[in-house]
Amino acid sequence: MSGDADLVAIIRTVDLTKRFEDVAAVDNLNLSIEDGEIFGLLGPNGAGKTTTVLMLSTVIKPTNGTAFVGDFDVRKNPNDVRKLIGICFQEPKLLWVSTPWDVLNWHAKVCGLATEERKRRVKQVLNDVNMWEARRKSVHGLSGGMRKRVEIAKVLIQRPKIAFVDEPTAQIDVIGKHKIWNMIRQLRDEGSTIILATNELYEADVLSDRVGIMHKGGLLVCDTPRTLKDSIPGGDIVEIHLEKEATDKVLEELKSLKEISDIAEINPKSLRVYLNNVEEVVPQIMKAFLKRNLPILSIKMSEPSLDDVFVHYTGLTIEEAQQKMIKGEADG
Amino acid sequence: MFLRYKFLIVMRAIWFIAQVSFFGLIVSRLVVFELKGIYFQYYVAGIIIMMLYSVSVFIGYDIFEEAEHGVFEYLLSLPVSRKELVLGRSIGGGIRSFIFVGPLIAIALAIVGVTQIMNLVIALSALFLFAFGASGMSITIAVALKSGDRFDILMGVLNALIIRLSTVMYPQVFIEDASNVYAGIANFNPVTFASDLFRWGVGIEQYLTMTPLLAILGIVAFFFVFTFVGVTVYERRLEGGGWK
Repeated sequence: MSGDADLVAIIRTVDLTKRFEDVAAVDNLNLSIEDGEIFGLLGPNGAGKTTTVLMLSTVIKPTNGTAFVGDFDVRKNPNDVRKLIGICFQEPKLLWVSTPWDVLNWHAKVCGLATEERKRRVKQVLNDVNMWEARRKSVHGLSGGMRKRVEIAKVLIQRPKIAFVDEPTAQIDVIGKHKIWNMIRQLRDEGSTIILATNELYEADVLSDRVGIMHKGGLLVCDTPRTLKDSIPGGDIVEIHLEKEATDKVLEELKSLKEISDIAEINPKSLRVYLNNVEEVVPQIMKAFLKRNLPILSIKMSEPSLDDVFVHYTGLTIEEAQQKMIKGEADG
Repeated sequence: MFLRYKFLIVMRAIWFIAQVSFFGLIVSRLVVFELKGIYFQYYVAGIIIMMLYSVSVFIGYDIFEEAEHGVFEYLLSLPVSRKELVLGRSIGGGIRSFIFVGPLIAIALAIVGVTQIMNLVIALSALFLFAFGASGMSITIAVALKSGDRFDILMGVLNALIIRLSTVMYPQVFIEDASNVYAGIANFNPVTFASDLFRWGVGIEQYLTMTPLLAILGIVAFFFVFTFVGVTVYERRLEGGGWK
């Protein structure tokens, strides 16, 4: 998606900064999100994802810089910005006196849906998120997962031009996660731009057209998941088990391929090859072995995850970064 | 939804009955000659305004509960302007107060009696604005303080001042007799405007502080000031950095 020159930025941040006293929660963020994409904002807790979402949705004001959502400046035209957006908050924000039906019906009403359309959509989405049976229960009595499903339902009913979904599948079971991912994709296919803030690497990977990785309030890197993974030198790993010992000649030929960054011999008949663009290079590797009559017994490929991308750019796993953040907060 | 407030409603109703049946009846026997015979009605009309005020400002406590549940951020993200949001909360709080106090107003009207229906309709309409204004004031203070404890303490003090330095329980002439400063404050007190207007509405026209028109203008000003201040406080205090 990022390669399509016709796509236009629907969100653009310019040195967007939010400070809470001495702490910069978001620090000079410059980001561009294209119309109609699912943009994954990935990072550990405390990286600044939620603060960014809150600024883009005009809930809090930036300390410095600004952002343009649609054609509107979040500082100068917040009312216009809010007409374009819908949010699924990280922590479900339910009107605590009501039932799921009341919460969604009220939300749809405030978003301007006409009575008949509102009832139809509320019913449909409650069914979609498996909350129809529990629609008359008090929100007090709902489990964390059920509350989260009501929260995501707000955005699904609203179908905003720009949807912010903050940790949309936290506390939701695996089947529910896949269902919600499909609904988010469907929302994108119907014309919404989705900004997905998450610390779940797999979720960002499978769902996002592009990913921006945030760390300590800044944007580390931003591109498609594929490009980000390929940006790690030798990020792909191929383990090859041979019938015979590998010769020096074949190893030299492999090393001459520019995509291969390193070859480790596990034992004389097993090699571990670190490379990029695994799909394109594996046929060449196989050809090199077969040419020299070195039959391959098995071949195992693994590609880097977004966690590897995070490690590559920060030197920390996302869990380590999170731990550091918690420790930093505890130390004051 | 209203059942959630049943404890508040029941307690306020008991308080109202106690004030009227015990305090009002007994105190009316102690009052000076000029008020003898009408003080009980005067007091009952005033106590209704006290009730309306105290139930209207209760919305401030809701704000803290909402903040605790994170509802604020949600409300601030909705496709409505800040002005609409504050106005909606104030009006919602005001209507709720009227619903809660409505049966007690009916009891008060039965005790006091009504002579001019039109006057009563005008007075009650203006009292709606008073209830909206009191709700707006409470929301403004709650959002400005962002602390439930401090809000509780401040509202206790404010309640003491705003009720005691008004004509809810005694006419202006007696306040003036005690202190010109007190009388000056009471003259600009929205609770005085509301008390005077309600008494005029039910036909107790002795000892009014001001003309009904001035009282209405005072209430309108009270409503607009706290709506405007409320919007400003919402924007500065909440959007600047959220609730915390």
